[in-house]
Amino acid sequence: MASDTSPATESSVERGSRFAWLDRSLFTVIVGSLAITAAAGLVQVRYGSYSMTFSEAFWAVFNPNVIFDLRVWAHFLLGGLFDPGALLDPSQWDSILVDSRLPEMSTESLIIWNIRLPRVFVAVLVGMNLAVSGAILQAVTRNELASPFILGVSSGAGLMILLTLVLFSGLAVFLPLIAAVGGAVAFLLVYAIAWKNGTSPVRLVLAGVIVSTVFQSLQTGLFFFAQDIGVVQSAIAWTTGSLTGTDWEQVRMALPWSLLAMGLALVSSRQLNVLLLGEQTASSLGMSVEKVRFALSGVAVLAAAASIAVAGIVGFVGLIVPHMVRNIVGSDYKQLVIGCVFAGPALLVVADVGARLGLQAILGSAGQMPVGIVTGLVGGPYFLYLMRRQDQIGEI
Amino acid sequence: MSKPQHSPAVESALTSETQSDDAPAERTDGASFAGEDLRIGYHGAEEPVIDGESLAAAPGQVTALVGPNGSGKSTLLKGLADQLEPEAGTVHLDGRDIQSVGPKELAKQLGLLTQENVAPESITVEKLVEHGRYPHRGFFDGLREDDIAAIERAIDLAGIEHLREREVSSLSGGQKQLVWIAMILAQETDVLLLDEPTTFLDLHHQLEVMEIIETLRDESDMTIVVVLHDLQQAARHADYMLALSDGSILSRGRPEEVVTEELLAEVFGIEASVTPTEHGPQITPLQPLHGDASDE
Repeated sequence: MASDTSPATESSVERGSRFAWLDRSLFTVIVGSLAITAAAGLVQVRYGSYSMTFSEAFWAVFNPNVIFDLRVWAHFLLGGLFDPGALLDPSQWDSILVDSRLPEMSTESLIIWNIRLPRVFVAVLVGMNLAVSGAILQAVTRNELASPFILGVSSGAGLMILLTLVLFSGLAVFLPLIAAVGGAVAFLLVYAIAWKNGTSPVRLVLAGVIVSTVFQSLQTGLFFFAQDIGVVQSAIAWTTGSLTGTDWEQVRMALPWSLLAMGLALVSSRQLNVLLLGEQTASSLGMSVEKVRFALSGVAVLAAAASIAVAGIVGFVGLIVPHMVRNIVGSDYKQLVIGCVFAGPALLVVADVGARLGLQAILGSAGQMPVGIVTGLVGGPYFLYLMRRQDQIGEI
Repeated sequence: MSKPQHSPAVESALTSETQSDDAPAERTDGASFAGEDLRIGYHGAEEPVIDGESLAAAPGQVTALVGPNGSGKSTLLKGLADQLEPEAGTVHLDGRDIQSVGPKELAKQLGLLTQENVAPESITVEKLVEHGRYPHRGFFDGLREDDIAAIERAIDLAGIEHLREREVSSLSGGQKQLVWIAMILAQETDVLLLDEPTTFLDLHHQLEVMEIIETLRDESDMTIVVVLHDLQQAARHADYMLALSDGSILSRGRPEEVVTEELLAEVFGIEASVTPTEHGPQITPLQPLHGDASDE
């Protein structure tokens, strides 16, 4: 910095530094969340019908033959080997991915990497999507009690899930996509209902309630048309959120959208901060409030839809995690979004351990619960605790 | 303190096409600011609040809008700031119709202090002032040196250096108002519109706010339009006054021309005595007038 500048700019070096946002509280959240995620993840991959010890599980996860083998990653993340030769010739783009067999590895590594680990990764993605989505919508509606599903996303997705499972079972293969699209359409409907020379946080929330009420009734009504108990169970798993049976395919499905949504949320953090100053102030600072609000809601819905597509409608995560993180790092959205990216996965991976192994540990039965039941069981009491502890709840 | 002398009919010079003799364009870096034939109302309401009024504010002057509750002064200010789209009429800033300027571009030239002013729980003073740089920053931009310099200047001007690390929510009402003003100052605009910046503040902070406004006028030649609830304050500090009643500008001019016993009766419905002093006209309210005030 030039020495002839006024003393006013002296402190700019320290304040303008790139990592000024990484203060101790956020650092605590990040490290703590990573530790919890790793520990819960290790428990998740250790237990199962093929039993192994913790150290076996640990070395199977961090098997250097696996994690440093690009072919393994290509197989898992792309679904096949990438053929660079086909890249230049458009006529070969169909065969750009060559089917590959997984390279040789130990049985433990195979089981963990092929079967148990993808579920943990899906939980990580779903957790961060829901947490960030909730954080964004809390700013958009300026209400701390907003969740990713406040603008009708869950009811739209739920209705489409039921319609698909009960009436159009031939389309069940496309269920993830249909559910995500249903959520997005419901969001647009909410926005259209709320729009009258612009929107406001209150109008959006009310429109969300209206659409949710109608769609939920229809969804519940559809249960009567379900032919057998299997369909009902499947519908419940989808509408309460479940990670049972998730595989690398779900990772591949959610990963790009998650990365996109997280990236957009991070670069929009300043818009979110200004939006929190209130509509009039944001507008007088030159923000096109309606455009920004719609775009930010869109990012939140994208994140929520990505998680719905792979895990169904997991409740409470998007409500509680931003809350917990805000209690620690404060209301700055850059820190909040980063905190949510780490804390969301921690909560969901832990909850999924409960969902997958809880019944086994408590009842000795082999059954699994939908993870949404666990998040609800954890989330309700946590909220009660918050309500008792804080005098003011609801305002950001 | 040298107040620039403007003719009483300064607005006629600015609203008409003649911007020659009185126009301060070459004299200052301030911007001309004028509204013409403004009709401003709210969606859904049948009658507009402001119906066909024109006004101009000169650079280097404090223009005060006064009037009783519901007279439309805040509405007029919102119209001037493009926060309420006028149903008819135009607002010109530096010769350009503000409707044709994008919101961010406008916010670089025109700052507005609203009465909304809610800050998130844990935001610090410095962070809040930083948001004043919003219109100057691109979507991906960090804080550049000129941003930091502007923030420092704003904090210095508002006299809140000692508060900069504090959380806004922990401040008193008066301190908060200074912080919000600092945020608007960081915007570095030519025109500043303030909606009742002194209402609900203790006397000390009222004077602090007015002092900042006068410093801005004298040192950076800003065009300042301020809605004031307190008529005496307007009489004391404004260079030019506009008195509104029921959506119409009933009187305009220098304080000693506007603040008269007749106007107080007609616009505010009170009987009062007005004494000229070196600090502008001194108003002593005596009693409310009942019935049709305009009969007086």
